[in-house]
Amino acid sequence: MSASSQSARASGRFAAVILIIFALVYGYFGATVEYSFSSDPIGPRGFPVALAVTLAAFGVYYLLNPGEAEAWPEREGRNAALVFLVLSALCVLGMDHLGFIPAMAVLMAGIARLFGATWPFAIGSGIAQAVLWWSLFGPVLGGNLPKGPLGF
Amino acid sequence: MSLDYLWQGFGVALMPSNLLIGFIGCFLGTLIGALPAIGPINGIALLLPIAYTSGLPAESTLILLAGIYYGAEYGGRISSILINVPGDAGAVMTAIDGYPMARKGEATKALAISGISSFIGGMLAVLAITFLAPLFGLLAIKFGPAEYFVLMVFAFATLGSMVGHEPVKTLIGCVIGLMLTTIGIDATSGAYRFTFDQPELHDGIEFIVLVIGLFSISEVLLMLEHQMKGTLKPLAVTGKYPTWADIRYIWWPSIRATVIGFVVGVLPGTGASVASAVSYTTEKRLNDRDGTFGKGDIRGLAAPEAANNAAATGAFVPMLTLGVPGSGTTAVMLGALMLYNIQPGPQLFTEQPKLVGGLIASMYIGNILLLILNLPLVQVFARMLLLPNWILIPGITALSILGVYSAYSSVMSVLIMFGIGVGGYLLRKLGFDMAPIILGFVLGKVMEVNLRNALAISGGEIGILFSSVLSITLWIMAVAIVALPWVIRRWQARSASPAQ
Amino acid sequence: MRPNIIAIAAILAGLTISAGAEPAKTECLAGAKPGGGFDLTCRLAGTSLHAAKLIKDPMAVSYMEGGVGAVAMNHIVGSRSGDPGLIVAASSGSALLLAQGKFGKHTADSVRWVGALGADFGVLAVAADSPIKTLKDLVAAFGKDPGAFPVGGGGAVGSQDWMKMALIAKEAKVDARKMRYAALEGGGAVTTALQGGHVKIASGDASEMIGLHEQGKVRILAVMSDKRLPGKFKDIPTTYEQGYAIDWPIWRGVYVGPKVTDAEYKWWVDTLGKLVKTPEFQKERDARGLFAFDSIGADYEKRVKADVERFKVLAKEAGL
Repeated sequence: MSASSQSARASGRFAAVILIIFALVYGYFGATVEYSFSSDPIGPRGFPVALAVTLAAFGVYYLLNPGEAEAWPEREGRNAALVFLVLSALCVLGMDHLGFIPAMAVLMAGIARLFGATWPFAIGSGIAQAVLWWSLFGPVLGGNLPKGPLGF
Repeated sequence: MSLDYLWQGFGVALMPSNLLIGFIGCFLGTLIGALPAIGPINGIALLLPIAYTSGLPAESTLILLAGIYYGAEYGGRISSILINVPGDAGAVMTAIDGYPMARKGEATKALAISGISSFIGGMLAVLAITFLAPLFGLLAIKFGPAEYFVLMVFAFATLGSMVGHEPVKTLIGCVIGLMLTTIGIDATSGAYRFTFDQPELHDGIEFIVLVIGLFSISEVLLMLEHQMKGTLKPLAVTGKYPTWADIRYIWWPSIRATVIGFVVGVLPGTGASVASAVSYTTEKRLNDRDGTFGKGDIRGLAAPEAANNAAATGAFVPMLTLGVPGSGTTAVMLGALMLYNIQPGPQLFTEQPKLVGGLIASMYIGNILLLILNLPLVQVFARMLLLPNWILIPGITALSILGVYSAYSSVMSVLIMFGIGVGGYLLRKLGFDMAPIILGFVLGKVMEVNLRNALAISGGEIGILFSSVLSITLWIMAVAIVALPWVIRRWQARSASPAQ
Repeated sequence: MRPNIIAIAAILAGLTISAGAEPAKTECLAGAKPGGGFDLTCRLAGTSLHAAKLIKDPMAVSYMEGGVGAVAMNHIVGSRSGDPGLIVAASSGSALLLAQGKFGKHTADSVRWVGALGADFGVLAVAADSPIKTLKDLVAAFGKDPGAFPVGGGGAVGSQDWMKMALIAKEAKVDARKMRYAALEGGGAVTTALQGGHVKIASGDASEMIGLHEQGKVRILAVMSDKRLPGKFKDIPTTYEQGYAIDWPIWRGVYVGPKVTDAEYKWWVDTLGKLVKTPEFQKERDARGLFAFDSIGADYEKRVKADVERFKVLAKEAGL
């Protein structure tokens, strides 16, 4: 058996364990939903409990037959994904403080860089996209976008 | 049978605002179809919140989203032919004969032939849907909670035909989708489930947040990983237009492919990619006497294009008439209806004739618009294939953030969307498909509520689930659709082995 | 001492300007998706206030979905408790949820109730071919065999539709918990299920049933009101007329945040008081299928609190 299919099996097994744990936690909360009474014999707990049991059963099957999975990314790809997520979170959280256009311009430029744009192109398209989306969703569609100290 | 609903529908679809919206949908659809980076389900997920928050009425939103969906089936061929990379899943077969033609310098002819066969497939399928939709509407009143429940059983049974080679992953995805629907106030008892005292969770997980996270964000993450830098160079659009003789030559292959595509599209769980594959192999088997298929035969180009358009249109039949999505994309559209407090199901036709009629009428108009967009204007889209990812992906990200933010005005929802996106990415890497999750999410509540209502009405008597002709028919159909693939395999195995 | 006097004078001057003045910007918050009852209330208020020229600029309508108004109330009490231009749509359903403690720590005292703009009324209906002709028939038949009469309503157990039928069950001496109650997806689904014979009794609102009643597809047995309703309802008897002292008005009104000043609150009360007398308002109200239900200011506040108390008793009796 090749190394890649072995690692695929390992990640499949790991995912199966997570799913089973999730099923148990979900099932616990589902079985303890509070209610006074229901007009039907199943009640609000029945469906969640049945789903938890089903997911746990499929999880066990998946654990025993992990099947195929794509290989996880190499370091470069992993780092790119992390940069994307951290930058997105920071810019989304920063929208209220910096304003929509500055925060979005930073994010757009950063993503452009991740996809191989040179700095001048990345910054140029970042600012252009931020202004474009702001004007589309703000003035044109009448949305309520976050305003920073500069008012946009 | 009365077609009044269709005339009323044309009244809706021909309103200037809806004409414009239909045009935008078709244009974006062609573009989204042409760009390999983004498929119709992504396009719909991104456009839905814009339509919803800018206050478009339900029928206009549906016209827009549907235009994107069937428009993408037109657009997908452009990149198949010019860069040998299918623009979307339905256009895989188009590359087989389309790309060799483009290499021979016949790109213009290839694009025109496939555009015309797309139109034939799309138009005939709309005609079929026009007459089928009212038939199902007649059944609406017969659907009580018990029948709805069995209908949902049937819908989930159709997943059996959707499963890939790892059925357990489809089933797990479906259960995850179902679990997500149980968050919020229980519609039957009023109990609060999985809300953890957060009023924001009382109405459950927001559909828009879920869809954009699962599809768009996970897609961006996958593309980051593959580091798709730069673009592929499309071949030039050169050569002559097709002649009338060419069109006569593809007429019957297109008609056959339309029938195949429509039937495959109507069957829940299968879609454009299956339809185009089946129709291509059918034509090859029927007509490939000189071994021209695969080397630039226009019949091999026309058949899959007619089929994928017919399938995309056919997928609206179960969606509009039964409220059962035929594909991930129609599941998102059903979710869109729910945002508007419109409950999909057999009563949709009788309660919302304006909506159903407007949508169907818009499809006639949309196919004509698409023919125009895809014959003389095809150069415009071919040029857009040059759009680099470093412009495209930031745009997709911006639309994702804006879609969620403008719908809920909450930074928290945007962050949750990214979280769901990471979850979707991990599942996709592990070989899970996102469509079953959406299917489970859209159908789950309907299934639970109707089962419990049925049992509330019967006082706990299970017999109510088998008490009407309609429900028994649906049970039989559910069993049949699960058993059918197995029976066909057995039958094939027997006919393959030499007779004893 | 001089600076203090100036300060006091400035405050007094400020008060005299702000007392009774229109807020710079008005907004109505609907605690649900567009298209529902809260949206209807907001649009009624916004359109008619502007049409009657009681506000200068059109009123903005915003939406904050969640927990049938719970998220909106949290938002008002938490972040915009002193916003003078913001009104929030509410209904008797909100009072019911407050009574059941479903708005968390919030009570009827958490906000300031401005006024009701109109009301719908509960109705009970059967299919047109049903042998049940009057509410008396229904109570008798239901009392004999509750299992033969599955009930359809547009809300969960404990919702207004459920409560309406629970009151009838009480008259029939049937335990409300024994009702075969199906919680369907809104009024349209209820009437469809009634026509299809899937449920035998429909519990709903007057405005959504009257169309099918006139077409002869369903029969409204009683309007749950102490007075006969006008117009299309003039031939339909009330619960009171048939000997049952039960009513169920579904009022629709608005509230403002708890920290809105007395002067600002008074401006809203006065303005709505003027509004409900204008023909512009009455036209808009009728167009939306609502009946006159003028209860403004202190009277409205009293009604909300009384309703909450009444619902608490009902919920307790029903064993919720």
